[in-house]
Amino acid sequence: MNDLINDLYQEIILDHGREPRNFGECDPHNKSADGHNPLCGDNLKLTFFLNDQNIIEDIKFTGEGCAISLASASLMTEKLKGKKIEVAEEIFKDFTNLVSGTDEELKVLNEEDSLYALKGVGGFPMRVKCATMAWHAFNQALKD
Amino acid sequence: MGNSKTLSLNVRKDFPILSKKILEKKDLIYFDTAASAQKPNAVINETNDFYKNHYSNVSRGVHTLSVESTFRYEDARKKVQKFLNARSENEIIFTKSATEGINLVAQTFYEKFMQRGDEVILSLIEHHSNLIPWFFLRDKYGVVLKFANIQPSGEIDIDHFDSLFTNKTKIVSLTHLSNVFGTELNEKIISICKNRNVPILLDGCQSAAHLKIDVQKLGCDFFVFSGHKTYGPAGIGVLYGTENLLSEMPPYQGGGGMIGDVSLEGASYAELPAKYEAGTPPLVEAHGLGIAIDYMNNIGLDNIIDHENEITKYAFNKLNEIDFIEIHGGDNKRNSIISFNIKNVHSHEVSSFLDVEGIAIRAGHHCCQPLMKHLGVNSTARLSFGVYNSLEEVDKFLFELHKCKEFFSK
Repeated sequence: MNDLINDLYQEIILDHGREPRNFGECDPHNKSADGHNPLCGDNLKLTFFLNDQNIIEDIKFTGEGCAISLASASLMTEKLKGKKIEVAEEIFKDFTNLVSGTDEELKVLNEEDSLYALKGVGGFPMRVKCATMAWHAFNQALKD
Repeated sequence: MGNSKTLSLNVRKDFPILSKKILEKKDLIYFDTAASAQKPNAVINETNDFYKNHYSNVSRGVHTLSVESTFRYEDARKKVQKFLNARSENEIIFTKSATEGINLVAQTFYEKFMQRGDEVILSLIEHHSNLIPWFFLRDKYGVVLKFANIQPSGEIDIDHFDSLFTNKTKIVSLTHLSNVFGTELNEKIISICKNRNVPILLDGCQSAAHLKIDVQKLGCDFFVFSGHKTYGPAGIGVLYGTENLLSEMPPYQGGGGMIGDVSLEGASYAELPAKYEAGTPPLVEAHGLGIAIDYMNNIGLDNIIDHENEITKYAFNKLNEIDFIEIHGGDNKRNSIISFNIKNVHSHEVSSFLDVEGIAIRAGHHCCQPLMKHLGVNSTARLSFGVYNSLEEVDKFLFELHKCKEFFSK
């Protein structure tokens, strides 16, 4: 099997792609945004509850997409749950750098993180949008 | 089968990109001709030669280079006229793309022949480029759009189509060959339009180069196609329109080259076809398209069509035998295009998996989101063939497809 494919589709990605965690809608939620990849039609809806200490108390998503976009959304929700917004924003920046294949030094993510499994996306430039769709929805929700 | 192998071996060498190795070692198998066709040496070399030896603006100066450029540009128009069997060169308008051709018709046809409340008939299988220009008319001018349903086979439901006509129907615009299903428009549809005296535009992006086009025999009023899908350069498109309609409709864009006489008080407009060609046109690209047409004619369009039909039929039958494959559309004839899904595997996964093996297929909504919604999928994988493909490539693809299914089932 090709190394690039094995890097792209690590076991954890296939697992989260098949059985996304935190799939659904947060009740209650006070933040939400839609993610959409106009190139392929994949889409998702992200909802989360931000408490008065600026902590993401709960976060969920629904939608349809490829293994990469679903796994990325699923891993994102696992990572961000319980995080303060300032930390979440740092993770967002790190993740974007990680999958874009840039040489930017990562500040909060490291190889132990499950999100690191998405690094293989860098070998498929056309798939970067799949991996970042959920994260851009998250970023959008913070702005709204 | 033997014949087909010989043909593809003969023309593959004409396309330099086909000797490229993907990821440094995989032979390129290009199954994405419906998105854009690869270019033969003749087109690459001739466009180069144009810049090196003949280039200037067209229809402006009187010097030698201007004459040489103008000759090549107008010669391309003659080739397109013959390619489509149009009555006159005046019916061939060069645009930058097929999309621009549809926008041109939508805007100028509306201006001359339509008003608020008038109706346009489209269908569910249209490419976004044959939807959005008409959405503009709906949003800006209150034009009513009606959409013909499709049957499970992927063909337009003729009875439903017929039922959409009213005395307010002013124009019909449909794809000649579906870029998702690969199925050809039933000619009865055009007869219905003729009988009702309503002009019809055919989007020929997928049919030019894969079907023999005769606009007179077809009886369409407008026909658009793009250069880049017919082995020519990107940046050049063609709008065919009957001289009657093109004469009556107003100019699309204003600028140099489309005028008769200009004073500060106003202007008169040039005769056809210049009336619709404001600004310096994509002259080298037009020449390249002319060379691409020569290239196809040298091989013989019938030979190309036979070759593609053989490959398409072979691929369709093989895919149809595989239980984990779902082919979109019915069992009717495909022309160079097959859309499918591996059950429970997203088309992106299929495309990425094949890509590292050197196989280029398209994955996505194919600019047909309303159709995807109708099919109940959000994307499909699509094979599309050109003159350079072979049965061996299909076999290689099928082999990798089984490996792909296995990989994503583990």
